[in-house]
Amino acid sequence: MKIKLIPNNEQDLSKVFIFLLPLVVLLSASINFLKDAFRSFSNVLPGNQVLNYGFLDKLSNQISFNFLFSFILVVTVVYLLSKSLGRSIIIFPLFFLTGLGLIGIEFIDVVLAFISPEQLLDLGNTSVLLLIKILLVGAFLGLILLNFLAKKEPSIFLSSQFLLGAVVFYLISLLIYRSEYTVMSDNFFINSMYLSTHIYVGCSFVFLSIFYFLITKGMQATLFSKTLGTISFWGYLFLLPWTGFKYFYGTTLPDWIENVSIYLSLSLIIPLLALIVNYSKTIATKENKEPVFSVLISFAFVVFGLTNVLQIISSISNVTPIVSLTNFEYSVRYGYMYSLILILIPFVYHLVPKIYGREFIYGRLETLNAYLLGTSVIATLSLNTLIGINSGFSWNAGANAGNPTIYGEGFLITWSLISTPYTFILFLSLLFLLSTFLFTLSTLKAIIGGSVTESETVSEISGDNDE
Amino acid sequence: MSELLAKVAEILGAPETLVQRSAEARAEASGNTVEEVLQSWAGGEAIAASAPVVEEAPVEEVKEEVVVEEAPVEEVKEEVVVEEAPLETMEKVIEEESVELKKESSLIFIAGVLGVAMFTYFFAFAIPKNQSADLVAESLNNEVVVSQEVLKGAQVYNDLNCQSCHTQNVRLLIPDSQNGKILKNKFADEIIIKNTGLLRLGPDLSTSATREPTNNEKWLTRYLTDSASVRDTIPHPNYDFLSTSDLDYLLTYLLSLGEVNE
Repeated sequence: MKIKLIPNNEQDLSKVFIFLLPLVVLLSASINFLKDAFRSFSNVLPGNQVLNYGFLDKLSNQISFNFLFSFILVVTVVYLLSKSLGRSIIIFPLFFLTGLGLIGIEFIDVVLAFISPEQLLDLGNTSVLLLIKILLVGAFLGLILLNFLAKKEPSIFLSSQFLLGAVVFYLISLLIYRSEYTVMSDNFFINSMYLSTHIYVGCSFVFLSIFYFLITKGMQATLFSKTLGTISFWGYLFLLPWTGFKYFYGTTLPDWIENVSIYLSLSLIIPLLALIVNYSKTIATKENKEPVFSVLISFAFVVFGLTNVLQIISSISNVTPIVSLTNFEYSVRYGYMYSLILILIPFVYHLVPKIYGREFIYGRLETLNAYLLGTSVIATLSLNTLIGINSGFSWNAGANAGNPTIYGEGFLITWSLISTPYTFILFLSLLFLLSTFLFTLSTLKAIIGGSVTESETVSEISGDNDE
Repeated sequence: MSELLAKVAEILGAPETLVQRSAEARAEASGNTVEEVLQSWAGGEAIAASAPVVEEAPVEEVKEEVVVEEAPVEEVKEEVVVEEAPLETMEKVIEEESVELKKESSLIFIAGVLGVAMFTYFFAFAIPKNQSADLVAESLNNEVVVSQEVLKGAQVYNDLNCQSCHTQNVRLLIPDSQNGKILKNKFADEIIIKNTGLLRLGPDLSTSATREPTNNEKWLTRYLTDSASVRDTIPHPNYDFLSTSDLDYLLTYLLSLGEVNE
């Protein structure tokens, strides 16, 4: 196995990234587990400035939604962009430096969090580095646009469409994060828009980009309909950024924006249905019969679909006031992130033979891991949803009965309802950590010790056989 | 003949069956034999010029709905087969569809995505955000004023990320509004605004300084440094690593709640 530290083309770069990706996922799962442990047992575990729930919550957000997300985004763009556009990436050295800079700046942010914990902001953008990050994402977007304009394929494949959407809204989310807080409602404006543009759009678009690649090329199937794919793309692009406001229903946000958010969230049914039909009809033509590969993609799709359903359910008029300001939003946030992590696993498994020329064998370990991952993620989301509804109900019921649970006196009742699910979530996050460890093990085992097979050449990666 | 066919198929990068059919159609139209047509294609002369048109034709050119996402090259080309159609007709169809295909240009697509992004930024964020600030500016009693000590305490509260579990946010909804002062939209220091919180995991602290036991400084100090000694049923982090001054500022801030965010 040879990995070049200074890659010459997208294949060399993909080699480095595919090697590091499982390790970054493992890091994210570890911090997430620590955070959950300190939430449930903060008064028992020894704490300090770093080992406390408040800090670990910020750190977990920063690693999962910034570092891991930017890493996945750059990996996906490097491999899928050239493949979708039918040519090698133009101005590759600049492209490489910008991608590396983007990941590097997110990594520095994480390191700085340990050196100066109090500077770590809620969703992980220290003000010092935010401007550089904006410039880097802007440059990255500019290079992607140049590659789009120089494309060789006559049509624009769905994978690259979703990638472009993800990068555009990544930039928008950073611009939003720089906004000033002047009145109380700004807290909800800035955070809900940051959540929906960065996490809802960002994670789901990178997910959909990999998803469309895997259900066609990975499963060796023919896409059922590009029109349905296009409906999903424009539907999600227009609707998703508006869906965050409803989780702050009844706050100082203007009523009209809460109502628009509710109606547009209900409309998510349209792109979701288009996606479901496209997926089910497309996989009917699949030729890749590897069951573990299909199971992983199906789990990722179920998690993504479930997250969309949660978005729609939370828009029902009787449910919205109950779930606002509760863990229900966490189910949605993590739903998009988990679906991305789940789709990443078959993506890496698919790329190991292509990039490294090493055979990937789906053994019992991989089968077990696929089910472990899928079930732990679905159970975690369900429990977060349950906590959101339980706590919302108990607060409302307590307030109506003259026992104001939200102010502490009746909080014991609420805690008795939600503490058990939180303990289960801790157990599930341990299982998830174990799964990501097994995923890392499988990948590294295949890369280092897998039997040699034929790898893709650079021209095959770019889909351009003329060069 | 089969060797020649294979050679031409290799040159054109198309399946042999397709090359065979195209050659037959061309031979019929031009009055030559199939072998002659193949030879001319293999040599890259005259008739060969029409062949690359077939090579470049992606599936969308013939049938827009049946796009083969990332499909292997072979699959794409099979879709292009026009049963026994004369080559001229095929060229014409491809030419017409090619015009339609140009509509999916990168420029229009990029403009569309950037357009939606800008629309979203302005109409979902920038404009309503500014309107809210304007409305507050026009109202009376539009500012939250706090002392410097309280502000320092608010900063400690924010650094510890207390707002990840506690809100200070009584909503304008009946169950909430029965039990406290509703959070009003006002101008305030950035840190005060951020501390209103977004998620209710622990109790809401809007009026914590107006109630027992959270209005008691000694109780609060003990709770913040060794929570289990006060209440072990609900887990709460211990902040015994805080400096004395930071703890004092935090207490000052917590004891001001109930007056600030009305």
